[in-house]
Parts: sequence; C-alpha cells; structure tokens
Amino acid sequence: MQEGLRISVSGIRGEVPDALNVEVASKFSSAFSSYLEEGRIGVCRDSRYSSHMLEMAVLSSVIASGLDCVDFGMLPIPFLQFFMREEAFTGGIAVTAGHNPLPWNAVVLLDGGGHYLEASEGSEVFNIYEAGDFNNVPWKKLGGVKKKTFPIEHYLKEISKLVNVERIKRAGFKVVADPCNGVVSSFLGAFGDFFNLELISINDDPEKPFPHPPEPSFENASQVEAVVKSTGADLGFLLNSDGSRISFVSEKGNGLSEECTFPLCLLSLKDRIKKAVSTVVTSGLADWAAEQCGVKILRTKVGQSAVVHMMEAEGAGAGGEGSGSFALSSFSSGYDALLTLSLVLDLISGEEKGLSEIISPFPKLYMRKLKIEVPPERTYKVMDKLEDVYSKENPNFMDGIRIDRKGVWFNIRPSATEFLLRLFIEGEKEELVESIEEEIRGRIEL
Amino acid sequence: MRISDLKISISGIRGIVGKSLTPQLIIKFSEAFSSYIGGGKIAVATDTRPSAEMVKYAVFSGILSCGASPLDLGILPIPSLQIYTKEKELEGAISITASHNPVEWNALKLIRKGGLFLFPYEAEELLDFYYQGKFRRVQKPERIEKVVEPFALHEEKILQFIDINLLRRNRLKVVIDPCGGAASPYVKRFLERLGAEVICVNCELSGEFPRNPEPVPENLLHLCEAVKKYGADVGFAQDADADRLAAVDERGNPIGEEYTLALAVDYYLTGKEKTPVVVNLSTSKVLEDITQKAGVKLVRTKVGEVNVARKMADIGAKIGGEGNGGIIVSDVHTCRDSFTGMALLMEYLARSGKKLSELKEKLPSYFMVKEKIKASFREGKRILNKLSHEFSDGNIQVTDGLRVDYHDFWFHVRPSNTEPVVRIIVEGREAELAKEVFRKIMAGVAP
Repeated sequence: MQEGLRISVSGIRGEVPDALNVEVASKFSSAFSSYLEEGRIGVCRDSRYSSHMLEMAVLSSVIASGLDCVDFGMLPIPFLQFFMREEAFTGGIAVTAGHNPLPWNAVVLLDGGGHYLEASEGSEVFNIYEAGDFNNVPWKKLGGVKKKTFPIEHYLKEISKLVNVERIKRAGFKVVADPCNGVVSSFLGAFGDFFNLELISINDDPEKPFPHPPEPSFENASQVEAVVKSTGADLGFLLNSDGSRISFVSEKGNGLSEECTFPLCLLSLKDRIKKAVSTVVTSGLADWAAEQCGVKILRTKVGQSAVVHMMEAEGAGAGGEGSGSFALSSFSSGYDALLTLSLVLDLISGEEKGLSEIISPFPKLYMRKLKIEVPPERTYKVMDKLEDVYSKENPNFMDGIRIDRKGVWFNIRPSATEFLLRLFIEGEKEELVESIEEEIRGRIEL
Repeated sequence: MRISDLKISISGIRGIVGKSLTPQLIIKFSEAFSSYIGGGKIAVATDTRPSAEMVKYAVFSGILSCGASPLDLGILPIPSLQIYTKEKELEGAISITASHNPVEWNALKLIRKGGLFLFPYEAEELLDFYYQGKFRRVQKPERIEKVVEPFALHEEKILQFIDINLLRRNRLKVVIDPCGGAASPYVKRFLERLGAEVICVNCELSGEFPRNPEPVPENLLHLCEAVKKYGADVGFAQDADADRLAAVDERGNPIGEEYTLALAVDYYLTGKEKTPVVVNLSTSKVLEDITQKAGVKLVRTKVGEVNVARKMADIGAKIGGEGNGGIIVSDVHTCRDSFTGMALLMEYLARSGKKLSELKEKLPSYFMVKEKIKASFREGKRILNKLSHEFSDGNIQVTDGLRVDYHDFWFHVRPSNTEPVVRIIVEGREAELAKEVFRKIMAGVAP
C-alpha cells in the first residue's frame, strides 16, 4: 500500500500525486469492479484539478473488468446517490475528497443503492486490491462508458414533495451562496430559479481553486457574513467541494456553527421523523432539537458509512452529523446539502422568522473541535495511553474514547481521513472546555 | 520456455486485452511517455477496435498524471495523426492501434515531435523511464482538449500535392475497402474530393474487422468481386490503421502489395520529379529496375518505417517506402500513407490514360515468397549463422538479419524485434526458382 494513503471504509484518499495517483485509482477501481463482478457503475467527480485525471483511470479500469459506466462528469455526489435510486446500478464511484484541502483527493465507493460502502464490503475490496487479483475481461466482454446529464428536474420534483415550494417562492428570499468553487456551482442557478431565490453567489467558478478550506463552518464563513450584511440578505450558506455538507449564516450576518445544520433539519421535519441517527461526537444541540420534535436519537461511529447503514438497519428516517451533514432516507442514500438547504428554506418561510431567531432558543453550548498533530506511528500508542488514563471514567469506545462528565463531554479519536487526532469537547461553560483541552494536551505531550 | 503475449519494445507496447494489456500497464506506459516528453501537448487517436475506449481512458489519465495535455483526435488513421503532430508542432502523439493484428490485440505506438515514430535510442530512453518508474507526476494536471475534424489537415496536404484538376477532369470509378478501420469515417469523402466515383466495401464501423486486416491478396476477395461487378477502374484496400495500401486492377486482380510501392515510385520518377528512392531490405527488386531506368539512386535501409523515413530525410529522397504496401512521399509527410498512395496511383491512371493492369504489365515481374516461422531469439541467431555459411557464395549483407543476393534471386531472413518469429522473404524472376530457394532455406532452418 502506498505511503500516505488513507484507507477508510468507503474509499481511499490521499495527497495527489505522491499518495493517490492514477495507478492507485486504477488498481482500486479494478478491485472494486472485480468485487462487484458485473452490472453498471455510476461515476462522477468534483471540480478538483486532479479529479478528471483520476476519473479517466477509474473509467478505464471499470470497463476493463467488464462493467458498464454511466459517467455524469462533474456532479455533486448527492446527485449521483439520488440517481442511483432511480435506475439500477451495482455500485458507484465518486472522485471527490469532500472537505479535504488541496492537493488531497479521494476515490469514494458506493453500493448499488448509492450508500457509502459498508465496512465489511470495503475490506473485501481492499483484500482484492492488495492481492492484485483483478478480473480483466477479453475484448468482447469489455464494458462501455455512457455519458449522462443529471436530470435536475427529477431531483427538484422530489424536493417539491418534501417542502412547501409555493410558500418559499412567495417569500422571494435573498440568499448568499458560497459553493467554494465546487461542483454545486453549476447547479445553483436551476435551484435558485426553482425556489424564486434572489441568489448572490460568490466563489462559484469550478475552474478556479478553492478560495478557502472546503469545509463549511463558521471559521470559513467571513466572506458570506460580509455579503449578507452588505446586501441585507435573508440567509447565507457555505458548501464543501462535493455538495454533501452545508453550514448557514443568519440574516444578521452571523455564521452558525455547522453543528446547527442537523438540528435545524430536525426542526424543519417536525412530526415527520420518529427516529434519527447521529454520531458519538455530534453536539448536544441535536439532542435538544430531537427532544423538541419527539425524535429518538441513535448514536454510532463517525462517518457517512456508519450513519446511513444504521439508518437502514434501524429504519430511521433521518441521519446527520455535526459536520453539516444531513440525510433523509425517504429521499436519497446519503448526505445532501441542497436537500438540507431546501429544508432550512422551508423552515424559515414557515416560521416567518430569520435564522437568528430560530436558533435563539438553542441551549448555549461551547464546542471545540481540535486537530492534534501526532505522527502516524505514534497515534495508536497515544490512544492506548489515553484508554488507560480514562478507564475508570466509564469510557465510551464507540469511536475512539468518549468521556462524559458533569456539564461537559469530550471525544478523542484518530481521523479516518487525515493524519491527526480529532478532539471534540463540548460543555455548558467555556472554562470547562478550556480546562479539558489543557488536560488532554498535557497527557498527549508526556 | 514460456513466452508472454505482452510485448514491450522500442515500437511501443502490445498485448491481448483482458490477458496482458491491463489498464494499469497502459497507464504506466503513458505516464512514462508523458514524463519522457516532459509536458506540452500529446495527440491521441485510435483505430476502430472495441477495446479502444478502455485503452484511451487509461492513456489520457497517464498523460495527465505526468503533466502533459492530451488532445483527443478520436478515430484517426495513423498517417493523419503523424501529420497532425508535425503540422501543429506537438510534442508527441500516441496511436492506439494494433494495425494488422487480430481484434483481441491492442497496442500503443509512440510518435515523436515532427510526426515520426520514436528513434530506437529515444525508445530505449523511454523504456528506462518505464522500467524504473521514473514518473514526473504532477499535483495539478492539465486538461483534455477535443479536436474537431482531425483529418482535414491531412486531406489538405494531399490536395495541395496532387494535380486535382487532372483528377477531376478524369473521373475514375474507385472501390475502396478500409476494412472497417480508422480510415472508414474519412476515405469516401476524401476520394470524392479527388473527383472519384466511390463504391464502399467494409466501410461500416462495426468494431469487428470484416476481414483479416492485412491487405494481402488472399484477404481481398470481396474487393476484387466488387471491382468486377461495378466495372471500376481500380480497387484499393487499406489496413486497420491506414498506413498500408494494396490495389486491385480493373479486371479484379490484386496487383500484389509489393507493386503498390513499385507503381507509385515509377510514376513519381517519370511523371513528377527525379529523386533518390529509399526502401527497406525486404522490398522487391523491381524497385532496382525502376530506379536504374530512371537513373536515380536506390538506398536500402533496415526494416521499419522510421528507418526509411530518416534515411529519406538524410539524403533528400522524395519518395520511398516498404514493400508491404507502405508508400512514403515526403511532399506530404515522411510516413507510410495509404491516402497519398491512392492519390498518386489515381493521378498515374488519369495522366497515362492507361489501365492499371497495363501499367503493371510495363514493369518487370518477380515472384515473391513471404513466410514467417516460429523461433526463439536464440534459435533465430542459429538459423542466420547456418544460412550465411550455406549461401556464402552470394552477396551477403548483415545490416538487418541476413540478406543474400544472387543475380537471379535474393532472400532476406530476419528475426523479428517484437516476436519470437523469423521472417523469410525470397524473390526471383521465376516462381519455380523462388519456391526452390525457399525450400532450400527451410531445409537449412530445420534443426
């Protein structure tokens, strides 16, 4: 395995070209196609420089294994996942690294229904990858590539079954969009027209590099905040590079934490959802919103794969994470930022209130999301040590270590996508959060 | 001894799809080429094989990976790709074609700046990049550019070279058989622009070749019948990548691929211009008669298009080629080009007012035996050694295998660079003599 390559249940990611390159992408696609054996694969990519190149390697390798490809070219991954419910597929491949910075990229694998691959399936693909045992077929059995334009009208039609389109249209919202020069840029026009939005888009040229890290969070929201203020807009939002995550800016020009996205969706879907899945590191805001709406929250490991598969297993109607992610099982098989935006537009038009007012009853919680650089070879030693230290505090090992204390909790885990530890701390008082940060940093240093 | 069907050599990379020619291999080879070229534009074209799509995506990703930008020329004959590369001053080109090999094969052929195939020392250097994995992978790849009407440049070059008014005044009836290959989308319109009335055989892009793509007489039955049926002046057959040409006369008889070049040279020297001529060591002796009569020099080189092309450039020869139907005219480009060949032969017919059979009649006739036998590389050496002793009274040349000349026959025995085979060519004035010499050689070859 290439050094610097990150393996997660649903794909491989790494910096281009040293860790992830055409050769790796090709072998990985051959392994996935060999695993699937037959059928048809939906393929899309984001707007990163390296995505087209990697996509070419993917297409070649899939058809060399005798499977057909339906190639959507540059497309948000949620659209691919949506389409995979409309027609029969055996799998999907998206070349996108979502929120990772440049020069990262990833090859993400989907099952036939458009879900991120499950852990056990993912490891089967890696076994084939490592063995190099690829199923290359003779010329007569080669697959073919069919180019396809995403039918955005189908997508919008399904959205219109979920939200009150007429009410949103009447409101004529002025909305500031920051798609981070990602793939959603080219679809914003159609979306805005559908809801009669007065759209003010910034950073909407997929040909250009990312203007800021492609992570929707209030740290990256300063441009949108400024534009909302200067234009008197009703709402602002930021996306990651593949349109799976979103965070919002209120009508007052204040960036909301990405942790607010999931709770806002629950509020918007009040009385329509009974059970929802979230992760062990999602903010207590989600519990609060769930309580308001009579929703039961189930918690699992971090990541889309774990969440959507638990949704399936438990028959939960929705799922989401504190990263600005939300999925609705009746609509599609994965996180979808434009679906989320539709739900929030529905919420503010229904309440006839701005976002700042809607979030004002949210409990005051302080959350810190910290990245702690630890060399890869030390990661598991550090985790072992922390496990020892906290063994008496009734630790939760669902994903890393979570410790709950009065008025505060924290979770520390190795990142699945980058070489670092992620420490999340949330508490009712800022001092509590600060003291825990000091405590953990001290323990890691030693 | 196990012999792989994958051939990585100075002529490129060739293998059987699904067996040895995998996407990973194609990617790495394209990465090596892109790294070797070191950026700039690389044109990519394919023939009509069904595996072209799989190979092309891999080639694109490999080129992009190492910083060059691919131009997508779609399906295009190899001479058109070479001309495009030269005229547009590109850094290189990759042709995805296994030319006359059966449909389960595919291959990459590499073209350098200036539109010639890689010189052997360049190819060696490229193979170093490949074997050592010396790839200059970039963080920010370039883009793929789609080229529309990629054949136009080639067509224009020929229209400038040929006496188009003469051809249009003397409307010829031509049957064309491009073997469903890379020429298929273009050749009908091309011949029509040369003023011909065109009947197509095997022009559909079916993906599977409708006949064996090698343009030798036994594969041209369909074409011969069509020439007779429609009372055409001439029939032409191209191979899958359209570098080689064979002709059928007005009676429906194949004139033999050696005579395609002979007639083209004969006409060039008498009807166009006196110029030295370059052919390879395996080409028919009739070229010696033609050049002698015209009083120009004939130079022979090792087998291989690039060897002939380079020698032509060196000595300023305007015409040359290879006896297997490869006509090279430097006015258009120093590459084997069936389109230029057709134009030249049509001009010959129009200007002379004679039938193709009559034009061939005028030339001395020879009988040629072409065979290949399986033999390992070591075995090949032994055979050459043995034959050079056995025929030591002849005029011996060892520049490329073994060529021995006698006054009434000659033969050329050459181990292939790419396959474990030895090619044997014998030519004599009399068929019986040629066959007898061939039998003698085969007896000598036997272990």
